[in-house]
Amino acid sequence: MLERIWLIPLLPALGAAFQFFFGRKVKKSVVSLVSVGLPGVSFAWAIGCFFALLGRPEHLFTKVLYDWWPVGAFHLSSGAMGNLNVHVGFLLDPLSAVMMLVVTGVGFIIHVYSIGYMAHEGGYYRFFGYMNLFMFSMLVLVLSDNFLMMFVGWEGVGLCSYLLIGFFFHRRSASDAGKKAFVVNRIGDAAFLLGMMLIVVTFGTVNFQAVTEAARSGHYPILDPTITAICILLFIGAIGKSAQIPLYVWLPDAMEGPTPVSALIHAATMVTAGVYMVSRANALFMLAPAAMALVAGIGAATAFFAATIAITQNDIKRVLAYSTISQLGYMFTACGVGAFAAGIFHLMSHAFFKALLFLAAGSVIHALSGEQDMRKMGGLREKIPVTYWTYLIAALAISGIPPLSGFVSKDEILWQSYAGPHGHLVLWVAGWVTAGLTALYMFRQIYMTFHGTSRVEPEVEHHIHESPRSMLAALVTLAGLSVIGGFIGWPDLLGGSDRLGHFLDPVFENPVPVALKNYSAGREFDLMFLSVLIACTGIYVAYRIYVRRPEVADRVAKSFGPGYEILLNKYYVDELYDALFVNRVKNIGNAASGFDQYVVDGGVNGVGWTTRLTANLSRLWDLYVIDGAVNVAAFFTKLMSYPARVIQTGLVQSYAWLIVLGVLIFMGYYLVHF
Amino acid sequence: MVAEVTFFILSALALGSAVMVITRRNPVHSALWLIVTLFSVGGVFLILRAPFLFAVQIILYVGGIMVLIIFVIMLVSVDVSGRQQQFSRQWLVGLTTVLILAAELGYALYRGSKGFLLARSAPAAALENNTQAIGTALYQNYMLPVEIASILLLVAMVGAVLMAKRKME
Amino acid sequence: MTTVSIPDVMRILPELILAGFAILVMLFEPFVPAGRKRVLGWIALLGVLVAGMAFTWAPPNAGMAFSGSIAADGFSYFFIFLFLTIAALALLGSINYLERDNIHHAEYYALILFSTVGMCFMAASAELIMIFLGLEISSLSTYVLAGFRRHDPRSNESAMKYFLLGSFATAFFLYGIAFVYGLTGTTNLVDLAADLAQPGKWSTLTRAALILMFVGLAFKVSTVPFQIWTPDVYQGAPAPVTAFLSTGPKAAAFAVLVRIFLGLAGPSGPAAFWVIWISAALTMTVGNFAALLQKNVKRMLAYSAIAHAGYVLVGLAAAMASGSTEGASAVLFYLAAYAFMNVGAFLLIAHLAGPGEGRTEISDFTGLGRAAPGAAACLTVFMLSLSGIPSTAGFFAKFYVFRASVHAGLIGLTIIAVLNSVVSVYYYLNLVVTMYMREGEPQAARTPMPLPLYSAIAASLFAIFYLGLYPNHFLLLSTLSSKPLP
Repeated sequence: MLERIWLIPLLPALGAAFQFFFGRKVKKSVVSLVSVGLPGVSFAWAIGCFFALLGRPEHLFTKVLYDWWPVGAFHLSSGAMGNLNVHVGFLLDPLSAVMMLVVTGVGFIIHVYSIGYMAHEGGYYRFFGYMNLFMFSMLVLVLSDNFLMMFVGWEGVGLCSYLLIGFFFHRRSASDAGKKAFVVNRIGDAAFLLGMMLIVVTFGTVNFQAVTEAARSGHYPILDPTITAICILLFIGAIGKSAQIPLYVWLPDAMEGPTPVSALIHAATMVTAGVYMVSRANALFMLAPAAMALVAGIGAATAFFAATIAITQNDIKRVLAYSTISQLGYMFTACGVGAFAAGIFHLMSHAFFKALLFLAAGSVIHALSGEQDMRKMGGLREKIPVTYWTYLIAALAISGIPPLSGFVSKDEILWQSYAGPHGHLVLWVAGWVTAGLTALYMFRQIYMTFHGTSRVEPEVEHHIHESPRSMLAALVTLAGLSVIGGFIGWPDLLGGSDRLGHFLDPVFENPVPVALKNYSAGREFDLMFLSVLIACTGIYVAYRIYVRRPEVADRVAKSFGPGYEILLNKYYVDELYDALFVNRVKNIGNAASGFDQYVVDGGVNGVGWTTRLTANLSRLWDLYVIDGAVNVAAFFTKLMSYPARVIQTGLVQSYAWLIVLGVLIFMGYYLVHF
Repeated sequence: MVAEVTFFILSALALGSAVMVITRRNPVHSALWLIVTLFSVGGVFLILRAPFLFAVQIILYVGGIMVLIIFVIMLVSVDVSGRQQQFSRQWLVGLTTVLILAAELGYALYRGSKGFLLARSAPAAALENNTQAIGTALYQNYMLPVEIASILLLVAMVGAVLMAKRKME
Repeated sequence: MTTVSIPDVMRILPELILAGFAILVMLFEPFVPAGRKRVLGWIALLGVLVAGMAFTWAPPNAGMAFSGSIAADGFSYFFIFLFLTIAALALLGSINYLERDNIHHAEYYALILFSTVGMCFMAASAELIMIFLGLEISSLSTYVLAGFRRHDPRSNESAMKYFLLGSFATAFFLYGIAFVYGLTGTTNLVDLAADLAQPGKWSTLTRAALILMFVGLAFKVSTVPFQIWTPDVYQGAPAPVTAFLSTGPKAAAFAVLVRIFLGLAGPSGPAAFWVIWISAALTMTVGNFAALLQKNVKRMLAYSAIAHAGYVLVGLAAAMASGSTEGASAVLFYLAAYAFMNVGAFLLIAHLAGPGEGRTEISDFTGLGRAAPGAAACLTVFMLSLSGIPSTAGFFAKFYVFRASVHAGLIGLTIIAVLNSVVSVYYYLNLVVTMYMREGEPQAARTPMPLPLYSAIAASLFAIFYLGLYPNHFLLLSTLSSKPLP
């Protein structure tokens, strides 16, 4: 079983290849059979591998398939000789096992759901081809045993994300959103790559286990500047992929993609890759408390800000997108305070309930023939009951109502950020307030969508129907998981034994002390009570405003005045970025490249002047090149390629003459020099 | 002494007529000058006491190939090429380049002439075996190149027929 | 006294089989009804397979044959197999192309086979006369092939230019051979090396002769300033022919360059080395920069072919500078990797260009990513590989060349090469961007790929990924093959 672990990523890849070559020709049923079946088998295999792993005493399995990239000998930064040999290899330990199960499991469920959801869309096979390709990339990312192969998967999921966001390419906004996601992600990827290079010259290897071992050997002091730099670079990479401040702007726009894509890629799996990567590099991060503080700070700030934005959004999927950003912030907060296990736990439960929320939202959109504006919904409770109840369960879970999964995992994070060795009261307060906001925006959504009077457009109204079985099956399964998911990490305090935490412990065992601050069990209980309390408050406020007296909502909005405006416009961050980077860059007709250029170069004014100059010279440019540096180079190269064309007259005589000239010059060189 | 003088005269004749070949506008004239060139080279072979090569040169090139060429020229309308505009007007540039190249090669020859194994005329005694020696060289040491040359000729033939055929169904 | 021996014949068996099949194909044509000419293609392909299998099943002993004319060594085996592969791919890609454009004649297949014979002799000969003959055979065949679309003026122009300039350049090669013969009294590379090893044998004239020979070969591999014919000829020739032309003869000429320059350069090593160095730098730069401006896919790939010749020259320069096998093996690896991606790209373009090759502008490919996702994806892979993106063959090809040149201490040249490969990404991705990110209806053909072409493309893709993911096996092979006999 374990020996053939490579089957797990390979099967979806085969599915993708099948769709690629034959998808257009075969029937839809065959497409769905192949593309849903193969991830299904992959999931089953993953379960098998998981139990096989449990059977091993050390809970560790590595498998090197073959030497991929024998780089050879080179000098390390320490002066010693290193010999880098990158394998294609798989590492299965508790961390990757959890990720593997989440990716294959949730992925499979979403594939099943997609059968119904995408049934009437064009490009059915293309969709499943991309989805399978995504599964492959994500599994490579999760199961690889080294940074380089992880990076390959990392780029792969980015590519699939780009392709799937732009799936409805005929909508201009969709292809724009795809480009935005791609460009913003590139910034993070560049940092990840730099971090990886630093790892290579520092440790002489990219293998996870080797790097971890070296970091834990005690050879490197805490606060070692190189390690701190590595961690910060890696974290910037994670920021891009996991949509944290300041690179979160692409995720809300990514909702242009089909809803199953939002569920799979932009909620459950891909966006959590950053959290996984930081956890994977936990040994390094423990040596860099400064980087840890940065992680926790950015995580908590993102959690809070995204939650405030979510309250004012009216698009059902955008609310969920901001909610995802906010929840990812929680996970980073956990990583930042050294509670990696708690972060992974929340990652898992979040995968359940957020995937469910998206799929249920998709079911709502499906029922309303594509309507996404919550102001045009309402009163759907009776008409699509299964969707409603599953949505409610997910909303309760994310709001942190016991004993649902969200409560357990979120509370673990809150407790760790309060009592953990790197914890701080500020972090806890931010998380706690966010918990209240979460409940508020979730139930605002529930009430606006399912309760109250119907504001659905009349012609849509009589089309409303419950979704097909395959979709409902997915909803119910995920709802079940959202309910029981918490019990595998049920805390000691409430009579559980936190099995998930103990399972993950060996991965996060660092020589640096991680003991909790000394608080009594009572304190933990108090905090737990407080967080449940604020969640209930949030729900109650939402109820008061949006159900009891809907007219209050507007009044509240008015009384907040400018504040509400700011929130509604998402703190004007998009506008700010537009003003700072994008608009100016559009002047040179090159949004994408310039964005990079500005961010990378920093010196806005100097660069601005240069680019304006080049803009006048370079009307010929008709291409969006992602990399700013390449673009500048490209201009000069074009300039220089004119002489080459002048020579290329097309006349044989001139050609012959040129050949003679060449002989003459070469021979002259010889005669003069030797 | 006589041989050297003859050699220089023949070489000058060969080169001079070669220049005439490429500068004449009338193809028939070019062909006739080419015959002169080939004859002169044949003469050089004779000075080197290589009678077989001399004979082959005269019989094959002058007698066979040149006649064919002239036939072809006669078949194709001669006037057309005479009336056509000359494409290249950069003959001065071309000439300069060629002269410089020639000077370079001349310089290289001058510098390297010591190492050059100058062809010497075979002693009179070897004369009888000359034809035999060529036969041995061609069919023993250079057997493979000779055979492979047949492939080259076949390809050239196929190519020529293919290019020349007006229409192919 | 030498006679023809069986082992000698075994050492040129593939060439003999190919030549035999070439004649067979032409003899067969009258017996094949007009509509079923593709049979001829299959016969030609069978010839290539038989040649390959004969060589695999009865591998000859390494050694010299035919009075030292033929050097049967790992080096020549490597190239012969490479040429057979290229020929097979080109044949597969040609069958439907010829049918589509109504130029289906047996001579096409025969000439491809003959050209392969010539290339094999070029790589396997240790005798300058033989090398010259091989060069002429392969050149003559390709001159005719380039003009095979006889009713297309572009094709005629291509053939004419190639023929005139090619003959011109070969004359230089022959002139060089004449000088060498005059200086040493031999044209055999082994004897030549022995002769030139004596003190005082190297003179200005020897170097001039070497330069002249280099020019003749440089024309075939199209290095600056002898690249000038390349864009016109590649653009005008039928695309499957260009696929063949841009890989086979080029690799053969490189094989000769490696054999001559690594074997002979001797005390003039530094001198010959600088010519290679300068050529490499110029070739990469001119090729890449000129490619940036192209609007025509075939022309762009022609300039890219020039640039790639420059990268291979970097490997050659490294081999000459360090004397280790690393450079030579990088050259071999590069040529093979390049063959797969370039043949694949041109064959695919031949198909997409539609009847009469009317659609070869880059703008014709707008939106192809949606109209023909399979073909567009394959073309993307070829472009990515050509630009050297990791996990494709192109990446490791470049990587090994650059590594060899760094190890040989050619830091300056490596920097030029790396900068150049960065520049090249721009125009390769331009095509990808055009296919996927531009709105519009593609002009390129959307007919499904016929099976023979499909299998050629699939084989190329497989090779690209195989070399990109498991480069080690092949690197080992090219390292073992990188020591020519003399």
